[in-house]
Amino acid sequence: MTAPILRAQDVTMIFGGLTALSEVSLTLDRGQIVGLIGPNGAGKTTFFNCLTGLYTPSKGQVLLNGRQLPSDPAQVTIAGIARTFQNIRLFPNMTAVENVMVGRHARMKQGPIATIFRGPRFRKGENEARDRAKELLAFAGIGRAGDELARNLPYGDQRRLEIARALATDPQVLLLDEPTAGMNPQETEATRQLIFKIRDLGVSVVVIEHDTKFIFGLCDHVSVLVQGKLLVEGPPEVVRNDPHVIEAYLGKPPEEVQAEVQHAAELLGGHDKGVNQ
Amino acid sequence: MTKTFLSPPIARILGIAGAVLAIVAAMLPWTTFVLNKGAWPDKATLQFFDAPFALTGFRWELFLVGIVALVCSVVKVPAQRRVLRGLGFGVAAIGLVNFLFITAEGGGLGAVTAADGASAFGSVAALVAGGLLILGTFGQPLEEIPRWKTNLPTPVEYLGLLVSFAVLLYVVSLTLTAGGQGGAANPYSGPMFLSFLGFGGGLMAAAAGLGILRWISKLSEKHRAFSIIVLLLCAFLLPFTNAGTEYWMTVAANIGVYAATAIGLNIVVGLAGLLDLGYVAFLGIGAFVAANLSGAAASSLGIHLPFYLVVIISAAIAGIFGAVVGSPTLRVRGDYLAIVTLAFGEIFQIAARNNIGGLTGGSNSIPNIPPLQWFDGTAYNESITLFGTPLPSGVLYYFLIVVLIAAVMAVFANLKNSRMGRAWIAIREDEDAARAMGIKTGKAKILAFLCGAVLAGIAGAVFAHKTSTVGYESFLFMESVTLLAAVILGGMGSIPGAVLGASLLFVLPEKLRAFSDYRLLIFGLALILIMRFRPQGLIPDRHRRAELAGEDAEGHTLAETPGDEPEQPRPQEVPAR
Ligand SMILES: Nc1ncnc2c1ncn2[C@@H]1O[C@H](COP(=O)(O)OP(=O)(O)OP(=O)(O)O)[C@@H](O)[C@H]1O
Ligand SMILES: [Mg+2]
Repeated sequence: MTAPILRAQDVTMIFGGLTALSEVSLTLDRGQIVGLIGPNGAGKTTFFNCLTGLYTPSKGQVLLNGRQLPSDPAQVTIAGIARTFQNIRLFPNMTAVENVMVGRHARMKQGPIATIFRGPRFRKGENEARDRAKELLAFAGIGRAGDELARNLPYGDQRRLEIARALATDPQVLLLDEPTAGMNPQETEATRQLIFKIRDLGVSVVVIEHDTKFIFGLCDHVSVLVQGKLLVEGPPEVVRNDPHVIEAYLGKPPEEVQAEVQHAAELLGGHDKGVNQ
Repeated sequence: MTKTFLSPPIARILGIAGAVLAIVAAMLPWTTFVLNKGAWPDKATLQFFDAPFALTGFRWELFLVGIVALVCSVVKVPAQRRVLRGLGFGVAAIGLVNFLFITAEGGGLGAVTAADGASAFGSVAALVAGGLLILGTFGQPLEEIPRWKTNLPTPVEYLGLLVSFAVLLYVVSLTLTAGGQGGAANPYSGPMFLSFLGFGGGLMAAAAGLGILRWISKLSEKHRAFSIIVLLLCAFLLPFTNAGTEYWMTVAANIGVYAATAIGLNIVVGLAGLLDLGYVAFLGIGAFVAANLSGAAASSLGIHLPFYLVVIISAAIAGIFGAVVGSPTLRVRGDYLAIVTLAFGEIFQIAARNNIGGLTGGSNSIPNIPPLQWFDGTAYNESITLFGTPLPSGVLYYFLIVVLIAAVMAVFANLKNSRMGRAWIAIREDEDAARAMGIKTGKAKILAFLCGAVLAGIAGAVFAHKTSTVGYESFLFMESVTLLAAVILGGMGSIPGAVLGASLLFVLPEKLRAFSDYRLLIFGLALILIMRFRPQGLIPDRHRRAELAGEDAEGHTLAETPGDEPEQPRPQEVPAR
C-alpha cells in the first residue's frame, strides 16, 4: 500500500468546557471504505466537521495526501474532500440536476464576461456540467428525478441526491454521515451497493452509521468512537468481537443487536421517514 | 378547504341570480345626488340617469362581466366554479369600490341607497351580485384547473402567443389609461381605475381558472425566443396605442427605470437571498455620476462626456460602492446585514443632502442635465413622427428604457443560469451546504452586490438624463423599501415578476392620487392582501413552481382566485449540527 490518502492526527475538539473529541486519529488508504460507529453524541459528526474545515480543531491536524488541509470548507472541497450531511441539506428549491450542478461549481470555469454573453465556449461548459450531473444522478440511481425540485423528492432519493451532489465535486475522499438513516432494508442495500460502486471509481469513503450490520458488511476498517475517544479500531471481524465494543458500545452480544436491528428494519419497511434524525 | 354547505341546485340558482343581478346593477343609477366634486362618471347619477342602456365606463365593464357570468353559469364550461368565482370577485370589487367611495364623498349611505325619496342601488346591487356569484361556487368543490394541450403545430402555438401578447398590450394600454389622468378636471380617476382593476382582475381570475394563463405561460416557456421578440415588439408598440401621450410615456419610462433597478436588486435579494434595505443608493450614485459628467451647468466638474462613457463610468462607480457595501457580508448575516445596508442608504442620502464634495447639489439638486440626442441631433425629449404617426415627446426615452430593461433582463437571466447564479441560489438555500460544495461564499456574495449595483448604476445614468434633474429626494429610504416590495411582490428571483412588481408599485400610487390622504393606506392594504393570498409573489420563479414534474397542481400564474392557495410548507428545516 502506498501512503494513506487521508490522515487525521490527534484531532481534539473542545466546545467551551465540553470535550467533544479527544485525540482521535484516523487513517484512510486509497480505495478503502472506513466505518465510524459509536453511540449518539459520541462525536462522529463533530469529527467530520473537523475534517471538512467546518470546525477548526482545538488540537491536532488533518492531512490530505500528506498536505495539511485549510480550515475553510470551500477550500477543503476544492482540495478533494466531499461530504453529505446527517440532516439532509440539499438546496430544496433547486431541481435535482441543479443541485448536482452546484457540486460542479469548483470544477467549472466561467468568466463574468462569458457568462453575460453566453458564447459557444460558455454553453459547451454549461452542457458538460449538465450532462455530468445527469450521469451522476443515473449513477446514484435517481436518473428519473432530474427535473424535480429537491424538496419534492422522497426521503431516500434525497439522501442519494446528496451523494450525487458530493460526487460532482470530483472528490478523492467522500465522507458520508448516516447515508441510510431512515431508509428501508431495500434502500439500505441499494446504498451499500452504491458505496461499493463509488469505491470502485477510486474514491475513498468514510461512513458514519448506527446500523452495525450495515457497517460490518461494508467496511474494510471500522473505528469505534465513544464519548469523543477512539475506543477500538480494526477490521470488522476484530471490532465486532472486541469485548470493549460489545460492552461499552453495543451493551449486548452483537448477534442480539443485529437481530434487533433487523426486526426494527422490518417494522419500518412500509414507511421510510424520519428515523434517527 | 372548500365548504359544501349548499346543495348544488341551490348554488346554481344563486349563481344565475348573481349574474342577472350584476347585469341589472349596471343599468341602475348608482348615486342619488350630484356629489360635491361633480356628477358620478358614466351617467350613474340619478339626475342624469335618463338612459339605462347607454352604458359606458365602469357600468359597461360590469355589464360585460355580468353577461359573461350569466353565459358561464347557464352553459357548461370547463372549471365552471373557478371561472364564476373569479368573475364574482370582480363584480364584488366594482361594487365595493364605488360603494365605499360614493359613501365617503357623499357623506353617508344616503348617496348609495335612498335619500329624499330617490333611490340608487347600483353599487349595493353589484356587491350583492358578487356575493351571490361567489356563494354559488360553494355548492361543490372547486374543479382542477384544466390543462390545455401544448403540443399543437408550431404555427398554431405561435398564433396563440401572438394573440395573447396582443391582448396583453391592449390590457396594459387600457390599464394605464383607465380612469384618466386625475386632477381637477377628473376627480374620480382613482375609483374609476380601481373599478377597472376589479373588472380586469375578475376576467383574469376567470382566465386563470380556465387554465388559459397557465397555457400561455407554458407556451411562452416553450417558445422563449419568439415570446421575447413579440413582447419587445409589444413594448415598442405601446406608444402607438391610447397610452401614447406624453404623460403616460413619462410614467412608463419612470416605471421602466425602477423595473430595471428592481431586477438588479433581484440578484441580491432574490437570487443570493441577502436583504438590502439601502439599494436605491446605487441608483442614486449612478444618477449623480451621470449628472456630473454630462455637462449640467450646475455641476462643479463641468465635464461633458458622451453617453456611453457616462453609462460605463456610472456603472463602474456604483459597482465599486456595491462591493464595498457587500464586504460586511463576510462578517454579518441576516438582520445585521440588513442594518448595514440600511445605514449605507441613510449615509448616502444624508451625504447627498449636504452636497458633499459639491457633487450632489444638496437641496438645490443638479438641474438642467442636457437631454440625450439621437444621431441626427433630435433631442430625446422632443416629439417625433414614426411610420406617419406623431409620437409624444419623451417617447424616445421610453424606447431607450425598453432597450435598457431588455438588456438588464438578459444579463439577469444569463447570470442566473450560470455557475455564479447557481452559487447564489445555493447560498440563499443553505449557506453551509453551499460552502461544502466548494463555493467561496464571501466572494460570491460580494459579487452579487457588485452585479446588482452595476445594473442600478446603469439605470441611474438613464434616470439622470430622463428626469433632467437629480436630487437626493429621489433616493430616500421609501424608494428602497418600494423596490424591495416590488421584488417580493413580483416573486423573488423572477424576472417578469420584478417588472410587474415595479409596474404595480409605481403605477398604483400614480393612479391613486385622487385618494390623496388615503393613498398610502390603500396601497399598503393592497400589498398585505396580495402577500396574504400569494406569498410566493405574483409571477413566481419557475423554481418555486413545482409543476415541472406535473405531479403537483401548483402551476399558478397571474391573478388566480385567492383563497385556494395554501402556503408552501418547507419540510426538513435544518437544525444546527
Ligand atoms: N457546535 C457545537 N457546539 C457545542 N457542542 C457541540 C457542537 N457540535 C457538537 N457538539 C457536542 O458534541 C458532542 C458530539 O456531537 P456529535 O453531533 O458529533 O455526535 P454524533 O456522534 O454525531 O451523534 P449522533 O449519532 O447523534 O449523530 C455532543 O455532545 C454535542 O452536543
Ligand atoms: Mg452525528
